[in-house]
Amino acid sequence: MAAPNGTAEPTTESHNLPPVVGINFGNSYASIAEGLAESIANEDGERQIACALSFHGEQMYIGSPAKQQLVKNSENTIIGFRNLIGKKFSEITSEDITPNSAPVIQHPDEPDVAAYKVEVLTTPAALPTKKTQTPAASAAATPAPEPVPTDRILSVSEVTTIFIGSLLQSASDFLGKKIQGAVITVPPHFTPAQVEALEKAATDAGVKVYQTLEEAAATLITTSSALWAATLRADRTQLYVDLGSSSLSLSVVENREGLGHVVASSSTTSIGANQIDDKLVTFFAADFTKKNKVPLKVCPATEVQDKRAEAKLRLAIEHTKRTLSASPGAATCSVESLKDGYDFTGSVNRMRFDMLAKPVYSAVSAAVSDLLKSAGVDAHQIDEIVYVGGTSCLPGLDEEIGLSVGFPEDVATPFSMGTVVGGGIGDPTTILARGSAVQAALLHTLEEDDLRAAFSTSVEAPALGATVALYVPGAEAGIVALLKDTPLPARRVQVFEVEVTESSKAFGFELWEIEQTVRVEKVKPPKVVYSDDEGGADEDDEEEEEIEEKHKETKKVTLLGAATADAKLAIQTKGKGPDAGKWFTTVEATVVVTEAGALSFDVKEIGEGGAVLSIEIS
Amino acid sequence: MSTIRTTPLPAGYTAPDASGSKLSPISKRKLLPAGPAFVNHLRLTLHNGGSFSKHDEHAAKEQERLDLLNASSSNIEDDLGVGDEPESSELLALDPKEWKKQDHYAVLGLSHLRYKATPAQIKVAQRKKVLKHHPDKKVKATEPDTSLLTGLNLNTNDDSFFKCIQKAHETLNNFERRRQFDSADPELLEELEEETPTSLKAAVAAKGFIETFGPVFEREARFSKKEPVPQLGGLDASKEHVEGFYDFWYNFDSWRSFEWYDKEVNEGSDNRDDKRYTEKKNKSERARRKKEDNTRLRSLVDLTLGLDPRIKRIKQEEKAAREAKKAARAGAGSGASTPAAAPVKSKAEEEAEKKAKEEAEKAQREDSKKAKAAAANAAKKARRAERAAAEAAGTA
Repeated sequence: MAAPNGTAEPTTESHNLPPVVGINFGNSYASIAEGLAESIANEDGERQIACALSFHGEQMYIGSPAKQQLVKNSENTIIGFRNLIGKKFSEITSEDITPNSAPVIQHPDEPDVAAYKVEVLTTPAALPTKKTQTPAASAAATPAPEPVPTDRILSVSEVTTIFIGSLLQSASDFLGKKIQGAVITVPPHFTPAQVEALEKAATDAGVKVYQTLEEAAATLITTSSALWAATLRADRTQLYVDLGSSSLSLSVVENREGLGHVVASSSTTSIGANQIDDKLVTFFAADFTKKNKVPLKVCPATEVQDKRAEAKLRLAIEHTKRTLSASPGAATCSVESLKDGYDFTGSVNRMRFDMLAKPVYSAVSAAVSDLLKSAGVDAHQIDEIVYVGGTSCLPGLDEEIGLSVGFPEDVATPFSMGTVVGGGIGDPTTILARGSAVQAALLHTLEEDDLRAAFSTSVEAPALGATVALYVPGAEAGIVALLKDTPLPARRVQVFEVEVTESSKAFGFELWEIEQTVRVEKVKPPKVVYSDDEGGADEDDEEEEEIEEKHKETKKVTLLGAATADAKLAIQTKGKGPDAGKWFTTVEATVVVTEAGALSFDVKEIGEGGAVLSIEIS
Repeated sequence: MSTIRTTPLPAGYTAPDASGSKLSPISKRKLLPAGPAFVNHLRLTLHNGGSFSKHDEHAAKEQERLDLLNASSSNIEDDLGVGDEPESSELLALDPKEWKKQDHYAVLGLSHLRYKATPAQIKVAQRKKVLKHHPDKKVKATEPDTSLLTGLNLNTNDDSFFKCIQKAHETLNNFERRRQFDSADPELLEELEEETPTSLKAAVAAKGFIETFGPVFEREARFSKKEPVPQLGGLDASKEHVEGFYDFWYNFDSWRSFEWYDKEVNEGSDNRDDKRYTEKKNKSERARRKKEDNTRLRSLVDLTLGLDPRIKRIKQEEKAAREAKKAARAGAGSGASTPAAAPVKSKAEEEAEKKAKEEAEKAQREDSKKAKAAAANAAKKARRAERAAAEAAGTA
């Protein structure tokens, strides 16, 4: 009773999310997720948090406010530090360093360590007060010491620690509790030393790193979730296209009910969205010059004025690119006082933009073709293309890859499934963060230490040598039970509604090993008949080019076994439908292949006392 | 997983012989260490030896564990023991206009806690009730089913209970108002009504002294301004406890007040005299009730003291001690004649003896106190002298 009324302490927690996060730490943008459909927004309301750190006077800015500082305070603004983590100063080449950022120098105290030098204002320590104080000459208070400009040296790992610390702060603000663990994605081009350095930087920021996750693995987790794959087969071959600002990584992954195996992968830092940015900035700069008769030379800019204008344009086109990805119409780009006091407003439509970005698009699709060729995988064997990274939101890229690599028309992409727009589940910008959040939650709840240890070692599993398919005698097409390269042991269950005849009630299955190939057919394109006869003579001279048409084919290779049984629970369909009078029974077919390669196939009629049929192959 | 429909077996089909056929040779694949599927694979191969039936059992157990983990972390909100009380139809039919008469604790579902409810519990209880009875929810829940009735609002009196909840929360959330309500708690009043000296005496005869008066004083303790409040204790409580108990309850300082019964000043009238008159009336009424309450408590303590078997016991114990002492003294002085004579003593004699003994004890106590003080003085003097001596020695 005597207790005071009310309390500021929250008495109950509002949700049951584990206090762990997944962090996608890119070179230009980072995102954090906690396992829900969307990623967490920071206090500025951004889900894509710019990897930038800026010092101005006594202030430190992180994220997009720091990016704004690039215009006037670029020498104290640090961007593009992710790629430098764990690299020795002597290893850093000029290509690694993002232009227009704070200078990267050799750390004055530590040998061969890269560091950024920024100028900050620091307040000198107050003068020590003596014990016997002489009375002040005037009544006015002693003025506080003036902050003086000093150089601050920040090693790359310190910068990373500060940045990850701010990400964690945003996450714990969102979750309302302290973050205990995190899973961080690492790009494929990271060396083990870099991974270690990243892990250390994150640990210094006050979070336990459960795992540093390959980007392909994070993508695998997200794309295997029930939400994503609702309409897709659980066993499929995927192509991951991860186009970041400074790198392109591609992987072909065999996804077998969530178990992934990378068939082939490639990664290059020579293709990236920065090139698209350059093109777009040049385009708008030319537009500005044309409109205002003010010369503006960008990419690279030499004069200070031009440099500032370029920085302004670069900030502005972020918005333009996002608009282009989201809507089919024209997107504007407006900058106030771009140069010499002239404002600039320009617009670019999607077609013009795609033309500008065409070289990058073609480079990406060439890389995809190369990868497929080197892996010996035909484009028709890819069931799904997954786009990762902000730049791959561009629809033009999807069209270009689809056309020039020659994927089948029914290949699933986030665009064809319509999940890419508006933060849908296919949103390429959040895939990695979400995947690592799932992984973090998984590792957080995992109790068995031996399993936890397996996450950091490489696990090899035996895999099926050939695809196993089920055939119902009398039917042409088979049903794939277990795809080639499925890690063993494996089990697949399929429910059949089997039709039987009134007289025999027998049903049967054949088990075949099959081979799925792609048949290439050369087809002559249909002749275009012009209504006028003018070009009639020329047409005959022209060599008709043949077009390759590809078809998926399956070929039965070996019969593994066959069996029949008599149904006991068949029911005759009643009513007037097309099935009236026919007899059906429902059976559940289970195929299990053990680690040693022994196959057992069991068919059970669903219900009590149902018929059983089985095939065993050791 | 969709169901696949098949055609019937062709007539005359016999299963072809495939004995001796083998699966293609197995290859090796490096797995990406990611996702729930990977964990399942590890469990299957490392823990269950590749057996799916064993794995299924394990998976079910694991799922149970995870569910439990989620539930215990905060899936089910900690309601601080507020719980869910059944809502009777009378309770739901309460009229918010008659809020002065309603039992606010029952409205918030706290009648099992009443005055013991903490502010945090009240908050939780209010939130629970609001979630359940908010008018917005009600309209949805009882939306007319038939198209004929759509558009008609069938829930005209819908938010009356919600208003009651708000009133209850308003009252209980305010420290002052909650004390006023607690002073006039309907449950308490009911108990007081039933509690008469005769009923208490009967209860003592039926249940025993402690069982009757223990809860009574526990109930009264809530009004104490001082904490902690000494409770009745057991039958074998020490003399100090019993004395302390009665000492406390005879000097009980209660915060119980009676503003709750105040007559409302007539809102419509601006007449100052009217207001003053009502206020004066209220004040005197409050004072009267307060006095009444104090008298009630005092008579209750009187009654308790009168019925307390422990007083008798303590007296007897004292007597026994005294007698033992006396016997010891007499035994040492003149032999063993006195103990034999003791049982025949009359009551008057006993009383007198007791008084004498008490006085003697008192005298003894005083003596000992004096002696102690003298000893302390002496010690002090000695110390002073010592110090003086030491100083003298030092100067010398």
